[in-house]
Amino acid sequence: MGFSPAIDRLIEALRCLPGVGPKSAQRIAFHLLERDRDGAKTLAQALTDAVEQVGHCDRCRTLAEAGRCKICDDAERDGKLLCVVESPADLHALEMMSGYQGKYFVLMGRLSPLDGIGPDDIGLDKLAERLNEGEIEEVILATNPTVEGEATAHYISEMVHQRNIKVTRLAHGIPMGGELEFFDGNTLAHAFRGRVEV
Amino acid sequence: MNLSYRHDGDTKVDHQAGYLLHQRPFKERSVMVEIFTHDWGRVGLVANGVRKEKSRLAGLLQPFQRLLFSWRGRGELKTLTTAESAGVVEPLKGSSLNSALYLNELLLRLLPRHDPHPLLFSHYHQALSQLSEGSEIEWILREFERDLLQELGYGLNLSHDIESGEVIEPDAIYCYYPHGPVRLEDQQEMDGVMTLKGKTLMAIASGEQPEKEGLREAKKLMRVMLQPHLGDKPLMSRTLFQPVR
Repeated sequence: MGFSPAIDRLIEALRCLPGVGPKSAQRIAFHLLERDRDGAKTLAQALTDAVEQVGHCDRCRTLAEAGRCKICDDAERDGKLLCVVESPADLHALEMMSGYQGKYFVLMGRLSPLDGIGPDDIGLDKLAERLNEGEIEEVILATNPTVEGEATAHYISEMVHQRNIKVTRLAHGIPMGGELEFFDGNTLAHAFRGRVEV
Repeated sequence: MNLSYRHDGDTKVDHQAGYLLHQRPFKERSVMVEIFTHDWGRVGLVANGVRKEKSRLAGLLQPFQRLLFSWRGRGELKTLTTAESAGVVEPLKGSSLNSALYLNELLLRLLPRHDPHPLLFSHYHQALSQLSEGSEIEWILREFERDLLQELGYGLNLSHDIESGEVIEPDAIYCYYPHGPVRLEDQQEMDGVMTLKGKTLMAIASGEQPEKEGLREAKKLMRVMLQPHLGDKPLMSRTLFQPVR
């Protein structure tokens, strides 16, 4: 049995959210309609505003309003350092934790030939433009420690080397608070290879 | 190796040696993986709960690692129950990594699921080892392509002229038709048809690495021979070899 058309449409629409199946969608829809209509209006407005106003930064490609993100606009930050990440979520994680004061470039993906994603799909032409401006002195590759992240890092490192700019890659290691016996062999092997003198 | 069929058609496979070819996100916390195994060929599995913090499997389920897979289930997609490492492999880097991705793309595109190819599995295993040792990449790829075509039933004729039936001669020029080589008379001009020296055909047959020109000819031959099986969609991993800008 269906509900009224408007409710059905709402339930269907909610299912576009990650992790929300039919049952959860129905629960959310009824909650909003029965108990929190103001909240629902705020949500609807916020969604509309965000979808209409948020685009990509024309310098670093991260999600931003008005064509330029705060970090790229910030004159205090060190324009000689450029950190390349896969996604805005990765950028956010680094911003929260690392105390990094340089700028970013967001690929919005990674090279993944088996998914049909090649060099043209991750904004490398824009990255090349950035490198050609001549301000950057070090590129920090912060793509994920996966096979695709590695392939991406390699491809970009060649682009950077060609321009005689220094390239570094985040270290692979063991996470804080972990116990060696529980790690998979790959992580351990990587950490072992990347050991540093103390 | 340990496999069993239960009476209800459910498959249960334990500790099957294999490699992960590709994984893609599936639902909120899971991944769908394509693996290539010794006894079962290519298999599609769902691995539940891999995409959460602290998943021990996440670090293991990467391409080019020797793994032991256990799975069960009925139908096309099975459920991964465990995966264990079967020995740590030196990680591939740079162009070796790109080449290995190319091998995976070939296998994904050309191997049907649940079609065992134990011989091809050993060729793949060997190609990966050679890539990690840093041997001549081009030739590793050509040998793998030759073996792949052979295993799929499209093996190349590398020993005889298909028209005259004569043995291939090293210095003669041959034109390769879909079914095999035909010797060209001296001075014969062939436009738009692929030609190569007899010794290149002999090198491909024997596995002995040829000179530069031979490598180039072999590459062209393999491309032409793989093309009909790959269809219109270009191989994306080839773009990784294009010069960077």
